[in-house]
Amino acid sequence: MAGLLLSPSEKVYILHGIEDDFRSDGRSNIDYRPMELETDVVSHASGSARLRLANTDILVGVKTEIDVPKPDKPNQGKIDFFVDCSANATPEFEGRGGEQLANNISNLMQRAYHSEQAFDLKQLSIFEGKQCWKLYVDILILECGGNLCDAVSLAVKAALFNTRIPFVKAALLDGGNVDLQLSDDPYDSKLLEVGTAPLLVTLCKIGEKCVVDPSAEEESCSVISLVVGVTGNPKCYCSNEDASKLHEHISKCSTIAMNGPGSVAPQTLTNAIKQGINAAKYLDEALGKALLRERQDITNFVKHSYGFFK
Amino acid sequence: MTGHVSIRLASERVNHCVPCPNELPRFYTPGEVITGMQDFMRGHGTYAEDDSLKSSVAGVMQKVNKLICVRPLKSRYVGEIGDVIVGRVLEVQQKRWKVETNSRLDSILQLSSVNLPGGELRRRSAEDEQMMRKHLQEGDLISAEVQSVFSDGSLSLHTRSLKYGKLSQGVLVKVFPSLIKRRKNHFHNLPCGVSIIIGNNGYIWISPHKQDIILEDNHDEIENYDLQAVKRSDREIIARVKNCISALVASKMMLDDTSIMFAFEQSLKYDNVKELLDPEAMLDIAFLTQHMLNDITED
Amino acid sequence: MPLDYRRFNGPEDSVSYRRFTEDYTKDYKQFLDELIDENGRRKGGREMDEARTLCMFFARTGMISQAKGSSYIELKRTKVACSVFDPREIVHQNEYSTLGQLYCEVKFAPFSCRGERKALVPDSDERALSVALKKALEPAVCRHLFPNYQIDIFIYILENDGACLPAAINAAGLALSDAAVPMYDIITASSVAISGDKIFVDPTDDEEQLAIRNHDGVNHGVITMSMLPELQQVSDYRQIGSMDADCVLNALSILEKECKKIVPYVQRVLVQNAINSFEQQKKLEEEAKEREEALNAKMEVWKSILNVG
Repeated sequence: MAGLLLSPSEKVYILHGIEDDFRSDGRSNIDYRPMELETDVVSHASGSARLRLANTDILVGVKTEIDVPKPDKPNQGKIDFFVDCSANATPEFEGRGGEQLANNISNLMQRAYHSEQAFDLKQLSIFEGKQCWKLYVDILILECGGNLCDAVSLAVKAALFNTRIPFVKAALLDGGNVDLQLSDDPYDSKLLEVGTAPLLVTLCKIGEKCVVDPSAEEESCSVISLVVGVTGNPKCYCSNEDASKLHEHISKCSTIAMNGPGSVAPQTLTNAIKQGINAAKYLDEALGKALLRERQDITNFVKHSYGFFK
Repeated sequence: MTGHVSIRLASERVNHCVPCPNELPRFYTPGEVITGMQDFMRGHGTYAEDDSLKSSVAGVMQKVNKLICVRPLKSRYVGEIGDVIVGRVLEVQQKRWKVETNSRLDSILQLSSVNLPGGELRRRSAEDEQMMRKHLQEGDLISAEVQSVFSDGSLSLHTRSLKYGKLSQGVLVKVFPSLIKRRKNHFHNLPCGVSIIIGNNGYIWISPHKQDIILEDNHDEIENYDLQAVKRSDREIIARVKNCISALVASKMMLDDTSIMFAFEQSLKYDNVKELLDPEAMLDIAFLTQHMLNDITED
Repeated sequence: MPLDYRRFNGPEDSVSYRRFTEDYTKDYKQFLDELIDENGRRKGGREMDEARTLCMFFARTGMISQAKGSSYIELKRTKVACSVFDPREIVHQNEYSTLGQLYCEVKFAPFSCRGERKALVPDSDERALSVALKKALEPAVCRHLFPNYQIDIFIYILENDGACLPAAINAAGLALSDAAVPMYDIITASSVAISGDKIFVDPTDDEEQLAIRNHDGVNHGVITMSMLPELQQVSDYRQIGSMDADCVLNALSILEKECKKIVPYVQRVLVQNAINSFEQQKKLEEEAKEREEALNAKMEVWKSILNVG
């Protein structure tokens, strides 16, 4: 990540602050900075979202295409993640500069969404063994101010929540070829079930403690961070009546990975995993509330598009 | 253990505009004619063409006697002699340091324009050159004054006064240089208990009050002092001042010790410092500060 | 996927014949039954918590004589070769780096996997493994001793029967110590596959496949962890699948033990290696001495001949 230069005494200040559970902007170690979210910002995508977390700015667009399912998973669709670190974010990303970071994030997302318990690919099936939907999730990093993984996972979940897939009226098997009839009405579409989609929580180890949502300065004080992917609670993403019908949800880890050149003691790792699961719960609740509010606005036709004006 | 997460929608976005009592100045855009050429002198941000003076940047016109300048609203720092700046050492070179000061070119701090331990009138020896990294190393923050401006616009700095030099623990806030109000004094000990250096280049340094230590004698003690933990109460005040500055910046308000102090006073009604990160609270503080500023100008 | 057109790539839409065999249509239950017999033992006769470490062995220069250090690890049917090349200066580097860089590359042999044939250009699996390997090794190597230098580590997976990442990390750790690259500690790695309440230590390919499948919302997944056992530090931890916190923490403690179990084996290999080279040295010295004596004797003879003359 962007190599920010800090003087040793600034680092000492940040370090002591984290030990004291009082960071340089007044947050405690488990607080996130305020975020701003808008869905449905790109008209040509099936679903899109833009998330701004302090100075980090992420735009996600979801495109849907028809594909042939993998032979070993005939009743499942496909989902693919692509990350583009544009040179707009920081000049360091110019050329191939951001490639490694982009690869890292897309790998992480792919693994987090791998399990069926995190994201059910069966809902993307059209005709078993013959045709399925393929989701292309394109993640654009517009600005980079620390804590990319968390912001990306939030934006992706919001974009998938917003994604509409055309309704297939009929699928006929015609001499080995599948003949699809899609509905002409653009509003006649189905939404995806994304309640369980995972969120990533980055825990940055600074000194002896771990913090969530590190700023760019804090990131440069740390040699290792842990990324925990935690499956979401579908109850947060539907109305109250529907929620009561769902059975109790247990958050599960869908991926864990480490970033940075350092290493940690097993005990720290255990604590960090617990802390990550805990943080993900609050993150998930907040995202669910925001998305439901947005959907309310859309159904009442009062939603204005704000787009990229800031 | 509960984390605080807030996700707001774009439709709930806070508009950070604060009404300003002064009349809005006239804006010029690049290529716009400012005046006929005859009696005026061409300053920064302007160029002459066809007997008229035109603006080359988007900004506000400033007229000093016959000199016409257009000051862009958002630009890198353009240094002037005597400015107080806060900068970061980027590189240690032969007999000089390269310092990042938010200006177009990196500034230079000559070995001959710093105070070295052992008195001012000491000759710079070859040993001093080898010890340069001991004095200031890459990443260190310094406060300094602009000594001269080179022909290409890069700045030469000096720290030949006890108030300048290396900065120890604290927080750096970066804002647009155009938001800094030029004052006689840029070093302030705020009554709330922190020191603040408002660099003309838009870098603001907030640090706890430093006890006066005798600089010459006990070098070790100073280094230990550098690494001592800052008290929680000081830390809270520093964080509060930092968030107040970001609130003022979000509303594009001019920064000097009075506006920062007013904002700090207003922010005290929010008990928790982290509440100040919320856009609504930020607007509230900026609005109230503007109000207080209006009151004193009316008096 | 980008294809290398200079090579013969084979028909594009070919499908592995295994798809049409009975194996393919097995459901979860059958799959599980096949892997575990009625006594609770695994298919290969191992206990659930028994790793394959026992038959690990190490061939030093025998493997790759051109490399500075090399190693070969065999866990029954998982076979991994590793070579380490000398630190060399990084070319085309715009910034001076105070820490040395590790360059890791993991490659599957085209015939190494049971499924489809691996392409010659690196695919996403291989890239992910390379990144994981680099992450695992970085904390172990004293990188400050090689400013602006790069150490190359190449892994070739000859045969993959599960747990190829831990095998690669173990092999790389051995090869690095063989190449006399300064390290803080020996590095060891291990993995577990989890499916419901079954925890397979050091899983085979079949067991990994089983663990990746979702069945009825139970815990499932594969976890790989690498450790610096003496320093008590986890250098990498990677999980795929979905499981609750207790399960993760349980697996973590199992992996910690497994990583420590490997240490004596690694140490034995290294010590054996040192003894061998020491003995070789001694032998060479003896031979040299013998030759010198022979030469001296010859000299005496010549001298006497000359004197006589």
